[in-house]
Amino acid sequence: MNHLEFAFRNLQRRRARSLLTILGVAFAVGSFITLYGLSRSVHENVERSFDEHGTDLTVKRRGIAEPFGGTIPETLIPEIAKIPGVAAVSGQLITFAATDNDDNVLAAGWAPAGFYWTNVPLKDGRVPSRDERRVALVGYDIARTLGKKVGDEITLLGEKFRIVGLTDYHSIINRNQVIVKLADLQELTFRTGAVTFLSIKLEHPDDQAEAGRVAQTIESMEKLSVSRSEGMLRNDSLFGLLTAVSTSMAWVALLMGVLMVLNTLLMAVLERTREIGILSAIGWSKERIMGALVIEGFILSAVGSIVGIVLGVAGSKLLSAIPAIGRYVAVEPTLPLIAATALAAIALGILGSFYPAFVATRASPAAALERA
Amino acid sequence: MASQPLIALEHVGHEFDGGRIVALRDINLNFGGGESVAVVGASGSGKTTLILVMCGIRIPTKGILRWKGEPVTSLRQWTDLRRSEIGIVFQDFNLFPTLTASENVEVAMFGSSASSSERRRQVEEALETVGLTDRATHLPQELSGGERQRVAIARSIINNPKLILADEPTGNLDSVNASAILDLLFDLQRARGATLVMVSHAPDQAGRCARQLNMKDGKVMTDRPTVPAREEAL
Repeated sequence: MNHLEFAFRNLQRRRARSLLTILGVAFAVGSFITLYGLSRSVHENVERSFDEHGTDLTVKRRGIAEPFGGTIPETLIPEIAKIPGVAAVSGQLITFAATDNDDNVLAAGWAPAGFYWTNVPLKDGRVPSRDERRVALVGYDIARTLGKKVGDEITLLGEKFRIVGLTDYHSIINRNQVIVKLADLQELTFRTGAVTFLSIKLEHPDDQAEAGRVAQTIESMEKLSVSRSEGMLRNDSLFGLLTAVSTSMAWVALLMGVLMVLNTLLMAVLERTREIGILSAIGWSKERIMGALVIEGFILSAVGSIVGIVLGVAGSKLLSAIPAIGRYVAVEPTLPLIAATALAAIALGILGSFYPAFVATRASPAAALERA
Repeated sequence: MASQPLIALEHVGHEFDGGRIVALRDINLNFGGGESVAVVGASGSGKTTLILVMCGIRIPTKGILRWKGEPVTSLRQWTDLRRSEIGIVFQDFNLFPTLTASENVEVAMFGSSASSSERRRQVEEALETVGLTDRATHLPQELSGGERQRVAIARSIINNPKLILADEPTGNLDSVNASAILDLLFDLQRARGATLVMVSHAPDQAGRCARQLNMKDGKVMTDRPTVPAREEAL
């Protein structure tokens, strides 16, 4: 028998409480992985959706904190296209739009001459011709959800659109997006002549200096801000709020898990005054007794973390399965996030067990010999 | 020249509650190697406190204790002594319910330099000494009272202590088991040359020790060799 086995036996003895504590830690770790993963995934999915279109720089109205709140005049497209280093400019208007069965979808209106149209991956059908109106390209996932195929009609903001193609993008946002002509969406949203973003393709995407010069030129023209796709959500208040809420909840969950370990060990110490006295009476030093209790804390938090990883991955899949979330975000906790969370939980569990262990060594060993 | 005592108490006193309760008053005692000593007296006379003070579980509020002539002043010294030189047998056995008999014995060896195989060998030997080889893998709840006390005795001797302190070791046992446990304790004490200090209420048990201390109100009233029963009758 060694110290680890000794600690295991003590935890086994209070099976129900140990199990509940492990579950508490597991839920804490699982919640952290899921919630923190959610906020990270939002950023990653937005980045991926822009990258997939071949966007190097994104232009939006400066100072607007809502994701689709700002508008830019369409007339800026030819002006920006003339800037040295700019290969192509594509304008798009984006909005959440009511569709069939009171459902909502992300609708994008693309300008007819935009470069987006040139690299649309199709699962079925075709890309609309330049002059076609009231036609739509529907993302494969949302088409399946709504039971639509090429040739069917889809309702957007009360108007019927004929589906001419099903897109086969990789990013979850694009797979759930309905693409229509810019003019159609402008008309339906009363935003004639306006777009939400301008997407810019650079002549030399890897040339940082050139990208900087282009961005500077655009920002000096109007009240516009330019960002790479990874910086798209940096100043966005809604995504900022989502990140803050999910991150705070994640940390609260983790803290609760640590407090559960601390509470369990503290209760165990208070209940085991006599046993701890016996250990002292048979020559266990304070450090050894503390060590035994810290090992118990380690076991609780380590087993809890392992179960928590399983719960976290399952929870992420569950979140992704909720249509309101899954259509726009694939919650995918990364390996570094999982590893960091589990290690943090174990480290906090060990740290949390030091206080009960300290309390234990302060108890008088005389309690072991005095009659109960 | 008289041999040096194993443990000596010099003007030892112990008070509780800021002096309102005096458990021990000016105790001066020497215990030599290989002695068997019974501590007798009424309840509350200070017997258990004396045992606790002699193993450092209670630190005296007055006086000093010496181990082989050296003063023992720190908790660390006492912990080291309890691990290697002093074995304690409790009235209530005080075994760990989740550990088997052999593990309950082994737990007293944690911190020793012995390898795990050496530990196992010593535990087997100790259990054999107390006659429990076939009960090694049983949990305390599967053992009788007498068997539990045998496990506790095996635990107390596992580190070959020079001093065995027994606080009413037969207090929770029937007369048959009590007699067997005492036989075992005295056999071990003689075979290992250890000093046995045993608290007892029963005169016949105390009579088996070579020396008897009679305590009252925290003081040692008499300290004398045990008079054989026949001599006493004359």
